[in-house]
Amino acid sequence: MTKKNEALRVGIDLGTSRSSISASSGARHVVESYVGWPVDTVARKVVKKSILFGREALDNRSMLELHRPLERGLIKEGSEKDEAAVRELLRHLISLVGGADDSRVFAVVGVPAEALRVSRQHLRNAVKGIADALMIVSEPFAVAYGMDALLHTMIVDIGAGTTDFCVMNGRYPTEDEQRTLTHAGDWLDEQLATMVRTRQPDAQFSIHMVREWKERWGFVGEPKGPVVVTVQVAGKPTPLDITAEMRRACEALLPPIAETMLDLLARVEPEYQERVRNNVILAGGGSQIPGLGDALEKMLLDVGGGKVRTVDDPVFAGSNGSLALALDASDADWEQLPS
Amino acid sequence: MAGLERLKRRLVSEVVRENVETLHGLPFRPLPPSRTRRVRLGLLRGLSLVAAPTLLFLAVSALSTDRAERAGIAPRAALSGPTTLPAPRAISPAAFPLAVRKIVVDPGHGGTDPGAPASGGLWEKDITLDVAQRLRMLLGEAGFDVVMTRERDETVSLRERAQLANFQRGDLFVSIHFNSLPTRSYRGIETYHLGPTADPQVERLAGAENRASGYSLADFRRLLEGVYVHVRQTESKQLAEAVHQGLVETLVKGNPAIRDSGVKPAPFLVLVATEMPGILAEVSYLSNDEDARLLKDPAYRQEIARALFQGIRAYADARSRPGGQGSV
Repeated sequence: MTKKNEALRVGIDLGTSRSSISASSGARHVVESYVGWPVDTVARKVVKKSILFGREALDNRSMLELHRPLERGLIKEGSEKDEAAVRELLRHLISLVGGADDSRVFAVVGVPAEALRVSRQHLRNAVKGIADALMIVSEPFAVAYGMDALLHTMIVDIGAGTTDFCVMNGRYPTEDEQRTLTHAGDWLDEQLATMVRTRQPDAQFSIHMVREWKERWGFVGEPKGPVVVTVQVAGKPTPLDITAEMRRACEALLPPIAETMLDLLARVEPEYQERVRNNVILAGGGSQIPGLGDALEKMLLDVGGGKVRTVDDPVFAGSNGSLALALDASDADWEQLPS
Repeated sequence: MAGLERLKRRLVSEVVRENVETLHGLPFRPLPPSRTRRVRLGLLRGLSLVAAPTLLFLAVSALSTDRAERAGIAPRAALSGPTTLPAPRAISPAAFPLAVRKIVVDPGHGGTDPGAPASGGLWEKDITLDVAQRLRMLLGEAGFDVVMTRERDETVSLRERAQLANFQRGDLFVSIHFNSLPTRSYRGIETYHLGPTADPQVERLAGAENRASGYSLADFRRLLEGVYVHVRQTESKQLAEAVHQGLVETLVKGNPAIRDSGVKPAPFLVLVATEMPGILAEVSYLSNDEDARLLKDPAYRQEIARALFQGIRAYADARSRPGGQGSV
């Protein structure tokens, strides 16, 4: 029988854009979900590593075979490199919090709800061996668990690849109580890139730059000031005011999110609908877009009003929730779940 | 506080149970099987995957009866004498006047699965991808959202294609293929929708297309339980008719010898596993030298894409009309 304090327990949020880990030792880390292998021996000599992660991989992408696991909210089946990327990323995260080879590690991994729905077995196989014992849960459920928001609550987790919805009714959510949209951070980036290209066809910029613009200046409603970015035009750095495009792109997220919220609300028992409306929690990177929560509250006015709040710690809300599960699971529970 | 702890304990137990079931390869949150289902699933285990889709409709009907029994609804045959309960009736697709927004385009084969060969080093996988990309452009210009199951020459299992289509919540699924027969003189256009078939040639074709599906029998049982067969079958048939009409009308102009081989039901796995109306078009025969010659011409491939597009648009327009039933 394992003693509780003998194993390091970790909660991991395996995200499309960023992945975070929270450990029972108190350590916490976040990395961008990029994994890269040098394309040839020359590249290997330059980067001086056999594998790179996160920002370092992104910055050296010209020399790497770069992978972003869960690109479309799912691990791509049939691609050994994508599966390897998931495994390496998880191993890397565990190593960051001190999960050495000689200590036992019990891990709870949170993944997009839809990934779990459609490729549960495949996910389990893909992450085989990364820990001594392993549980996989849906990300919005992990967020709800970590916040003790287990009754009459709706979690809206706006990630990069997917926006996950989950209504907590005091039980483990069924498929009917969960939804996933692909209208999320990456989709918003594509919208913004298209709008900027339409406006300035000769502007040169990458999707990574667009992502940074969004994270820095994204907004819904009224801007704090003009959003001016620098793009290359015929090789010359040129300022470009994209305030209108930024607003349109960010506000394009509102209708699908509101529609899905109302659809899920309509399925809640009538006597509890008001409580759920007043308990909407926004999580994920997208929850940080200023004005998004207020705009969703305005939309809830049509159905009697409601309250939308944002998690305090969007980067670690998922991994903290997974860690809470990892700590609450007994040794007997873990013994049933070898990785 | 104690209540919250109890609730959390219960939730942890649920999570552990689900993970243990996955670890042991059990399907997702299964219903306790009734005796009749256990017997039926025992029979299913004895079948190969290629043969299994043919049993889809019988199995779904039976499973539906199981569900109705569990729900306390008597099947039609059991309704005798006066009753206040109406007999269960098939739901008309007209009850769902919904717009078609997102179309999943599936270029057949790819990567290590080249599909059918043709003369002059041409492979089916290359042509399906080219036509799919052209179709994507046309659909995009018309305002449809388009999802491609593959964007380049890569191996994508049938399972993954279906997963992507379902994950993306596509409204329609259109799979593009080109046929091949030992009889090299044969030329024709066939459009398939999900359904059982008694035609051994169609069974052979489905068997060939269903290879390397990536599905296990446990997965297949889940597919059987999840399929909403009547509405999807009706809608798929209407989509197939619209697309087929577009293909025949367009391609006969440039290729008068091509034969209209009709709209047919077939148990293609990729149509079983997708949760939306879907079709599989076998646009022409790569085994025929003249068809193969035409297919090397980008202008002809553009014509095929345009024909597919016109059929999809005709179906979508009919579907979004008030009371529209997809009939075109």
